[in-house]
Amino acid sequence: MTRHAARWLLAACLLPLAQAQADITLKLVEVLTSPERTETLKGLVSAFEAQNPGTHVEITSLAWSSAFEKFATMVSAGDSPDVVEMPDRWLSLYVKNGNLESLEPYLAQWSETKGLNDRALEMARAVDRTAYLLPYGLYLRALFYNKILFKQAGIAAPPKTLDEFRADAKKISAIPGKSGYCLRGGPGGLNAWIMFGAAMAGNNVFFSPDGSSTLSGADWIKGTAWMVDLYKEGLAPRDSVNWGFNETVAGFYSGACAMVDQDTDALIAVAERMQPDQYGVAPMPKGPGGKAFPTVGYVGWSIFKSGAHKDLSWKLIKVLNDPAGNLIWIKRVGALPVYKASEKSPIYSSDQLKGWFAELADPDEVPTIMPTNLPGFAYFADSLVVKTGQQALLGQISPEVMNRQWAAYLTKAKLKQVGGK
Amino acid sequence: MFIEPHRTRYWLLHYALLGAFMLFALFPLFWLLKVSLTPNNLLYGEGIRLWPSQATFAHYESVIAHTQFPLFFRNSVIVSSATAALSTLLAAATGYGFSRFEFRGKYWIIGLLLVTQMFPLVMIIAPIFRLLSPLGLTNSLTGLVLVYTAFNVPFASLLMQSFFDAIPKELEEAALLDGAHRFTAFWRIVVPLTLPGLAATLGFVFTAAWSELLFALMLNSSSSVSTFPVGLLAFVSKFSVDFGQMMAAGVLALLPVCFFFAFIQRHLVQGLTAGAVKG
Amino acid sequence: MNWRRAQLAAEPYCYTLPAVLLICAVILVPLFIGLTYAFHDVRLLDPTSGDFVGLDHFRELRDDPAFWNALRNTLTWTIASVALQFSLGLILALLLNRVFPGRALVQLLVFLPWAIPSFLSGLNWAWLFNPVVGPLPFWLHALNILSAPDNLLSDPRHALWGPIAANVWWGIPFFAITLLAALQSIPADIYEAAAIDGAGPWVRFRSITLPYLAPTMAITILLRTVWIANFADLIVIMTKGGPADSTQILASYIFTQAFQRLDFGYASAIATVLLALLLAYALALLALRSVFVRQR
Repeated sequence: MTRHAARWLLAACLLPLAQAQADITLKLVEVLTSPERTETLKGLVSAFEAQNPGTHVEITSLAWSSAFEKFATMVSAGDSPDVVEMPDRWLSLYVKNGNLESLEPYLAQWSETKGLNDRALEMARAVDRTAYLLPYGLYLRALFYNKILFKQAGIAAPPKTLDEFRADAKKISAIPGKSGYCLRGGPGGLNAWIMFGAAMAGNNVFFSPDGSSTLSGADWIKGTAWMVDLYKEGLAPRDSVNWGFNETVAGFYSGACAMVDQDTDALIAVAERMQPDQYGVAPMPKGPGGKAFPTVGYVGWSIFKSGAHKDLSWKLIKVLNDPAGNLIWIKRVGALPVYKASEKSPIYSSDQLKGWFAELADPDEVPTIMPTNLPGFAYFADSLVVKTGQQALLGQISPEVMNRQWAAYLTKAKLKQVGGK
Repeated sequence: MFIEPHRTRYWLLHYALLGAFMLFALFPLFWLLKVSLTPNNLLYGEGIRLWPSQATFAHYESVIAHTQFPLFFRNSVIVSSATAALSTLLAAATGYGFSRFEFRGKYWIIGLLLVTQMFPLVMIIAPIFRLLSPLGLTNSLTGLVLVYTAFNVPFASLLMQSFFDAIPKELEEAALLDGAHRFTAFWRIVVPLTLPGLAATLGFVFTAAWSELLFALMLNSSSSVSTFPVGLLAFVSKFSVDFGQMMAAGVLALLPVCFFFAFIQRHLVQGLTAGAVKG
Repeated sequence: MNWRRAQLAAEPYCYTLPAVLLICAVILVPLFIGLTYAFHDVRLLDPTSGDFVGLDHFRELRDDPAFWNALRNTLTWTIASVALQFSLGLILALLLNRVFPGRALVQLLVFLPWAIPSFLSGLNWAWLFNPVVGPLPFWLHALNILSAPDNLLSDPRHALWGPIAANVWWGIPFFAITLLAALQSIPADIYEAAAIDGAGPWVRFRSITLPYLAPTMAITILLRTVWIANFADLIVIMTKGGPADSTQILASYIFTQAFQRLDFGYASAIATVLLALLLAYALALLALRSVFVRQR
């Protein structure tokens, strides 16, 4: 046999060995997909692949509008990823189903863990007081307002209290063809109901010590009634009873309504379509008790228990979410930072984001986490609240009846959570 | 159809009604086109105008050059053509069987076919996924073709049956008496007479497969095997709905369907000669 | 039994079995599994679920006002959609049955709505009904159908007509093309003979056209009704079942129960009821059809 052939033979024998060592594929699923986010994700992922030769990351991007159903179908049929982008609302479901790996051992050994701010850690541990996800950003509600419409109506500054809010909305609605508030009567409107309800009630306590929901209390009812009155008096567009995320944001940037409560990620859509001097962001207006309770949500990365390469998955998460990677990521997705150090980053000093930081700095603005870890919360928020909220807005039921239904549902859910099953 | 064509009042009514139908059918499509040519910044401001003040092809450029739509179209063409061909073949055979024969279990089979249409797809998605996953048919175009064919064949068969029912049995019987095989009679005599029916079935199945979303979305995850409706859904992100691009993609997607329909149209309106019936 | 007889007996099965096998494997097995969910407590992503619960779900839906509301809406939705699509489709088919200049083009153009995916069609029509970006509210107001140029889809009393309009637009081509194909199969000389015998157009329509069309009519109406009853896409896109469940039909309610409450058991029970209703309807229609089909 010639030397040439012998070399080839040797290479051929060694090749399978080499293959066996290399080429691990990790499956990463993103759910809040947009073309820009996918690009950024790919960038971060290729950095990871460069650091870990022989690993390949396969990214599956699910369209958000059907992501929940699709992901649930995939997981229930056994098609699970290694790492998934996990929104707060889904966390409890997948934890209870036994799908997620606890990240506590990894966090205990990680040098960056102490750099996470307290809120981030609290959120990571939202279910069972164990960290099942590593949050990459916070989404805090604030009040977007249209400076042009405000000037037109003769209002100098954004409203600081609910009374001022109502008065401002009235003045703007007097302008023909315009409304004061971009009300969200369709899916996702729960945040507003909770914020106004809590502001009126003066607290964000959802459950009394005996486990029953506080939503049926007189003060919470005042809050929801306040929002129903906004609609009934025509301070929000007639159409808004059906509005979801897209319609409220579109209503805002098209100038149909002057105020909308939204998170930092809406800023991306708004900034594309409005000039910086046309809109501003202010802290949520405070209730009669002098406090406001903007809702806060979070999204993070989780590891699936069924994955075969959990340590490697953690490495991927570290690349995606260490202070450097995290800064790149949240700049793209528009979220508030989870690292204490990032708060001083220059990307957060823009005028628009100042509104959120003012909110965080104000002790009377209390970021409120909704009870998303309750079983059946998704149905509550996406179905029950939408239907009863619309009925209340249309005058088919009274706010009192609506609150009572909510309280009954939440009390039952709490019981289920506390009692096991 | 036989009617005196020189009755002007009739023809006036005829064209007026046709005009009304065309207006009704085309106006929403025109709106689709209009939105696809409207630049993003004018989308809401000029919403009600019948034509944007500044038309732009930017959305089309973007869809063709910067998204994966060419790939999605290719996948859709493959899947829809394969489904149409396979379904029509199976449906012609099955429809003929129902039309010409009385056999044990016939009505049970027809019943089963109907039942498959009566259950909401949402409920069957999870079991089908679980069925196809171990066979490697999820995340594949083949799996999609199989599922689409299975769902379209019941309707197509019953449709073909009704077309076959309208063709008198005497035709094949004459051929059989002459010693021909039934299949030959079927293929040579009956099928040519039902070309309008075949064309209609092909057209429907192709279009049904072309615009199907639920299975394409749930069964296939990677973009290399996604079809165009799934691509459309990607324009609806959490943060905005990119109407301009979505409408542009929708308009572009009409083109293959137009070609296909133009192709089968000749057969759709083929008139019949009376000779075959009178024999 | 001799070979030839066996061959003849096997013939129908040769024609029908390939399709039946495919359908059994791909649809009927999952369908059966889906039906069994109705009798079990099946919750997606809940490892402790799956117990047999007998008829509990059916008792639950009997007492569920949302179910009855959805059932009522389903009737309105289905009957209105099918009646309008069929009658308008038949008229269009009759119009296209003549030869006139440009017929091929007209045929293609009126077929186009069917080629639009329902999801895009829903968004398009929602856009048309929205007073901010669509002309319909203003036109409807000008025609005095609406008292003010508001969005029809936000009015709980009339919101269902929005998706019905979109559904009719989308579905006319189906009836038009299938009925046209059936009309084309009617030999022209039968009409000639009848005209010579002095039969007027209405008599010709009633005694020639209708009986020839009867098989196709029956099957298209049957199938379309079944499809529309199960067709929630347009409603989910245009109104999401709202406002206040005024446009919620059984199919969209099933989707909500299945994917928001993740209660596949209850959703399947509702689907089973819908299936039973549609089966009853199909049997009735088929019985009617066998009375009318001409045996020639």
